[in-house]
Parts: sequence; structure tokens; C-alpha cells
Amino acid sequence: MRVPVLVKVGAFALLVMGSYTYYANSIPQIQSLPPQELSLEGGNVTPEQLVKAGEEIFHGKGTCEICHRIGQKGTRAPDLAGVGARAGSRKPGTSAKAYLMESLLEPGAYVVEGYPNIMPKVDRPPIGLNRSEVWALTAFLESLGGTVDVKLDDIPKSAGAAAGAAGAGAAELKLPGDPKAGQAVFAGKGGCIACHRAGAIGASPVGPDLSQIAKIQTPEYVMGKILNPAAMGTVAGFPPGVMPQTFGQTLTSREYVDLVSFLLTLKGEGAHPPGAGSPAKK
Amino acid sequence: MGGLEAPGSVTLRRYALAVLAVAALTLLLPALSAVAQEAGKAPDYRAFPLIGSRLAVWAIAQLHLNFAAFILGVPIFAVIIEIMGWRTGEQRYDWLSHEFVKLTFAAFSITALLGAFLLFLFIGYYPKFWAYMTGIFYPTFWVYATLFFLETFAVYLWYYGWDWLSGPRKWIHVALGVVSNLFGTGILFVSNAWVTFMVSPGGIDEAGTLKSLWGAIANPTWMPINIHRLIANIVFGGTIAGAYAAVRFLSAKTDEERARYDWMGYVGNFVAISALMVLPFAGYYLGREIYAFNQTMGITMMGGFMSWLWVIQAILIGVLFIGSNYYLWLGMERIPGSERYRRYIPYMIMILAAGFIVWATPRSIPLTPSEARVMGGTHHPVLGVLGVMSAKNTAVNLMILTTFLSYLLYRRANKVSVRPWAGKGMAVQWVILGIAATVVTFYGVYGYFVESIVRIGFSVYQVLSVLGAIALVMAIDIPLFKGARSTGTIRWGTIAPRSQYVLILLAVTFTWLMGLMGFARSGIRQHWHVYGVVRDTSPDAWTPALGYAANMITIVTVVFFLLVLFIFWLGSLAEKGKAGAHETPVPVIAASDR
Repeated sequence: MRVPVLVKVGAFALLVMGSYTYYANSIPQIQSLPPQELSLEGGNVTPEQLVKAGEEIFHGKGTCEICHRIGQKGTRAPDLAGVGARAGSRKPGTSAKAYLMESLLEPGAYVVEGYPNIMPKVDRPPIGLNRSEVWALTAFLESLGGTVDVKLDDIPKSAGAAAGAAGAGAAELKLPGDPKAGQAVFAGKGGCIACHRAGAIGASPVGPDLSQIAKIQTPEYVMGKILNPAAMGTVAGFPPGVMPQTFGQTLTSREYVDLVSFLLTLKGEGAHPPGAGSPAKK
Repeated sequence: MGGLEAPGSVTLRRYALAVLAVAALTLLLPALSAVAQEAGKAPDYRAFPLIGSRLAVWAIAQLHLNFAAFILGVPIFAVIIEIMGWRTGEQRYDWLSHEFVKLTFAAFSITALLGAFLLFLFIGYYPKFWAYMTGIFYPTFWVYATLFFLETFAVYLWYYGWDWLSGPRKWIHVALGVVSNLFGTGILFVSNAWVTFMVSPGGIDEAGTLKSLWGAIANPTWMPINIHRLIANIVFGGTIAGAYAAVRFLSAKTDEERARYDWMGYVGNFVAISALMVLPFAGYYLGREIYAFNQTMGITMMGGFMSWLWVIQAILIGVLFIGSNYYLWLGMERIPGSERYRRYIPYMIMILAAGFIVWATPRSIPLTPSEARVMGGTHHPVLGVLGVMSAKNTAVNLMILTTFLSYLLYRRANKVSVRPWAGKGMAVQWVILGIAATVVTFYGVYGYFVESIVRIGFSVYQVLSVLGAIALVMAIDIPLFKGARSTGTIRWGTIAPRSQYVLILLAVTFTWLMGLMGFARSGIRQHWHVYGVVRDTSPDAWTPALGYAANMITIVTVVFFLLVLFIFWLGSLAEKGKAGAHETPVPVIAASDR
């Protein structure tokens, strides 16, 4: 049987494209995900938590790792091992904290000899770190051989003001739970209301005010704190060991997810209890 | 020659479609400002049914770009071929030029329709983004529409006036072809301003407000993309025309038909390979400007999550270079006298293969810890040294020189120079090629011992030495073989059929490569519609991995070729309907010296 030319040509073309496609599928598959926003303003955060958050920013949203290494000399940017100790002596009259903040916000002001002036301002797009993130990143850099003493108030109010740019918006974390049912757990079966305030709900001063917990803590922290409060540490100013360790047994999984969903709607001033219009849906 | 198509119903329908598309685009323009105002009230995004908005835009944009590249690229060399026919008086060039324009003509309407479809997608599914773009570029939309109208008018006149403007009026016809190309290039430049603004915005302040329209147009990557796309369009047009000729060759019923399309395929490949040789330089220029605009973007592109993409690109370009050379070597078999040069082919294969291997050697690629442990580090202890730019620049320059040598040998395959200085001339040619290869290799090796900023400058010397060598060698070659003694005529049509599959391989590979580069250009923006200015907050803000992208590129490329087949089939219907209507028979080219 004589195979038509177009069939042969078509089969050949498909074979060629198929081989390219197969190869592209056989190599490591790496996606680029949009970065999550971190907000710590107004919240209680320990230096350890701050440094940990800063380290995540260093490896992720800050894209620092593209040029900087820790413990390895780079061709594009200096090795950051020990920068926390070294920073104080870089520029006469400039503290380590001030030098590091300047390096992040005005990187062209002082360029380490032998390296090109290529570093972007981290609080400007496209990196666009917000004020909390600059704070955490500074703390992380201080921790590399120095003392973590940076406070949120040290970070200029203007930092990160342009981070959002024209169409910016933080990615929202979507949880399967029902915040309205979670509010009922908070006020009812969970008994959380006995110690915590959550926006317009509750007023007890026994435990920390959770009215902006979604803004100042990560979902991982919130989830861990309910199931294993001792392992997550105690918020400064509150007595340790008060929070029950039994929610993992007393709450059903549905109730647990609903409760987490409710807590993650609490974002401070803009937060309202579900039913009054969830800010996540704005 | 001309009159291959008399006006008929198919032609009229095609004309009506194109006019409708242009009219629709023109009518849409005033509506755009209203759309921009309304966008403030509209949602940021809407979801395209089933496949989602991103895939819809991806598919239509890639298809539109493929067709646009074809209809902009082919006329550039078609008019050059027409000028060759006009100046030499050889009718076959005129026939070939007309044949090429006929191909683009068929694709004209669908390009316009796909462009309109793409616009609808932006307005409907990305209203906020499109409102922003309209706010920046609205005045250029009018320029685009005007140029589109003028180009349509000029191309139609060029095509339909082939007979009318022949003989003493041929210069008017040629001028029309040149003008068509100028309008086409203008269209390319305007639309490139929109695309490149998304990658490297300029002319705006930190809040994204327009400060200078010219600054937005002439943004850092605008001119590099203009040059890169202009050259790439010629390569693309050449490969598609070559593939068309290959299919016609393989389906040919007579020797004469086979000879005609063998020659057409050869010219298509010649055009493609000529432009391909300078394309890597344009690519480096573009890469350099991306780095200059934003180091983070440049590093993300080359050393970040996209680093594997360049390994795939190297493979595709390797296929293009090796395929083009292989086609030339197969072509030499139909040229009496070419036996003299066959002994060089194994060496050329070795250089091309070595260059291919070096270019495809990765350096900065993401690895899992276990992979890094197996390899003994983030790059291979021995081969890793070949993954840096010094080695790659050297490899690609030597590959280009080798490809040029292949062409040179092909060109003189059936010629013996009668010049008394022939021996010296050839010796000088070899010396020039040798010096160029030495310069390229020297700077390639020296690059390992200097700072990166110095090393980047070396690539300029390498490029200049290669381009200079090509120019000098050709300057000697043309007078050297003018009036040369022929060792026999080229037996057009007798080339091995597998050569035609090489032409198809080149077309498929280049089309796929265009899709891949489109993904690279768009992907480096990551979660930004306009880099650093308008953030992508849609559910599709993530940038997919290469496998996902490759699947999409393949699907769209298959659809593109199916559409091309359909359009060419329509064209052939028109041809069949007018059998015997040609005013001038197609030229006989079964045997010729060139």
C-alpha cells in the first residue's frame, strides 16, 4: 500500500515535535510561584521567628540567593557569611543595622569593592518586599555572625510603599474550612472565647488578642498553636502552659479546619467576623 | 512572469476577508478608549471557558505570531529575489518570487483574524491589564491600524499588479514590494513596543504613570527584539517556504515539477541558513540588554528556573545547524564536480558535533541534592567548564564559520575558476577563515582568565571576526568564480528524497523554537503582566514548568501546521481551477549552473 506523502510528512513532523516534548518533560520540572506576602506589623514576634521569616525571604521572595551565597564567594555579589559582624565596620560611623538596611533599601550607596553596582532596591518592584519583610530580612542578615537588634520602628515607614505597584495584590491562602462555622467553634465548643478576643467577639484578656492573628502569623503557626500550643512557644507577656493541649482530641477535623479558616480571616482593623462581610472576599 | 491566478471567487473571498479584518480592527479603535474607561468597573479578570484565559491567550498569541512572522518574513526575501530576476533577466527568479508571495498572500487573512481574536481575548479576559496598556499605548494603536491598512493595500497591489507592472514598469512593481516590506516592518516595530514594554517598561514613573510615550516605545529591549524578530522572521519564512517546496517535491508527478520545487526548497533553505547565521548574535544583543535592564531578570532567565530552557534551545539550534549543513551536503550530490569537496565533510561534521555538544552543556541548572552529590557539585567537574559563555560563544562562532564553509563549497561545487590568481585567491580565503577561527578560539580560551565584564566584550571581537571573514571571503569569491568554467549543470530534481525531510525537520524545529522563545520572553516576567509595574493577581500568576510549556507549544505548532496545510490546500484549489490560464508557463529549471 502506498502511504500518501502528507501522512508520511505529518508522521515525521509529529515524531520530531514528540521527541522535543518528551525531552522537555524528562528534565526537572520547576515552576515559578508568585511570592506570598508576610506581615508582622503590630504583632508579637520573637527574634527567632523574625530570623526564620527573614531566612525564608532570603531564599524565596527576596531572590537574594540568585547572586549572594552564604559561605561561598560569588562572582556577582559578596559572600554573606559573617555579614552581621562585618557590617558594623564597613562604613565608618554606620552601625551594622543601619548598614544592612542601607544595603537593602539603597544598595547603590555603598558598593563592596570588586563587585558591580547591580543590586536592585529590595522594597521596589519587581522584588517589592514590604516593611515587615525588610525587617525580617535585616534580622536574618544580622544573625549571620552579629546580634539581632533591629526593631520594626528602625525600618523607614516609606519602605515597601511602592512594593505593590499598579496591579499588586497579595495572594490569598484558600482553606477548605467554613469561617462562619469556625466562629461558632471559637465561641462555643472550642471555648477559645474564654481567653481570647477575636475582633468584635470576646473581650477576655487572659490570652493574646487574636483580632489580627492572620496578619501577624503564618497559617502554619496558627494550625500548630491549636494542636500543640506548647511546641509553638508562648507569646511574650502571657503565662506559659495555660492553653489546653487537648484540642487535637476534642475537636473533629471539620471543626479544626473551620476554626483555622475563621482565625485566618482576622486581619486587624479591616477584619470583621464572618457574616458581616469577609475581607478575603473584597 | 505572472498571471498565475486570475481573479476568481476564492481570491475575492480572500480579499473580502482581509478587508473585513482590517475594517474590524479600525472600527475597534475608537471603542478601545471606552473599553479602558469601563474597565475600572469591570473585574480584573474573567475566566475563559474550559481551558482558562491564559491558555486561550497563549494559543492564539503563538498562532498569530507564527502567521505574522511568516507574512512579514517571506516578502523580505521575495522582493530580493524579484530584484535578482529583474536585474539578471532570469525569469525563474520572478516566478519564484511570485510563488513565495502567493504563499504569504494566502496567510494574510488568517493573520489579521487571529490578531483581532487576540485583542478580543485581552479586552474580555484581562480588562484591567488591557486598560493599563491602552492608557499607555493608545496613540500607537492608530499608527498600527494605519500601517496595517497601508501594508494590506501595498501587498495586494504588489501581488495583483505582477503582470500589469511588468516590462518597463517593473521598477514600480519592485518599489511596491519594498514599500510593502517597509510597512510590514513598521507594524512589527509597533507591536514589539507593546510586547517589550511588558518585559522592560520605560517612559513611566514608579507608580506606573506614563511620562513619555516615546520612552515606553523605545524601552530597553525594543530595538534588540526588533532586530531579533526581523531576522528570525526571515529564517522562519525560509523554512516554511522550504517545507512547502519539500511537500510539493515529494508529491511531484513529473521531473520538471520535481526540479522546480527542488530549486525552490534550495532557495528557501539558503535564505533560512543565511539569516540563521546572524541570529545568535542578535540573541546575544537581546540577552545583554535584558541584563542591563535588570540583572535579576537576566539571572533568573539564564541561571534560575529557566536555565534548562537554554539546554533545549541549544539542542534545537544544533538540529537547525546540522540539518542545514546536511541538506547542503546532500545537495552537492546532484552537482557534477562536487566530489572534490566531499573529503571536507567529515571534518565539518566533527566541528558541528563538537560545537553542538559544547552549546548544549549546561552550567547553572537547578539540581536536587542527590543529583548534585552524584555529579560532585553544582556542575560537572570536567564538562562543567564547557558550560560557560566563553565556550558557548566559541562553539557557536565556529559552527557559523563551518556552515559558511559548507555553503562556499556548495557554491563552487560545479565551478572551476579561470582567473589567473585563482590559487592565490583561494589561499587567501583559507587564511582569512583560519585567522577568524584562531581569533574566535583565542578569545574563547582567554575569556576564562579575565573578569566577566571583560569577557562579555570578547564576544564582540569573536562576532566581528566571523562576520568580517564572511564578508572578505565572499568579496574574493564573487570575482573569483565570475565566468568560471562549469564542470556540469546542477541536476535539479535528483536530490535524495530524504533531503526533503530535512527541510521539513528545519521548519518544524524552527516553529517549535519560536514557541519556546515566546515562552521564555513571556516567562521571564514571572508573576507580572508588566514587569515590576502591573502584577498578575490572576489564578494563573504562576509560571509553568518546561514540560507543561512544551506540551502547549507542541499542540499549538500542530494546529499551526494544520492551518498552513489548509490554507495551502485552498491555494492549490484556486490553481487547479485555472489550469491553462497562465499567461506564461512556469520556467524550466531541470538543469542549470546555479
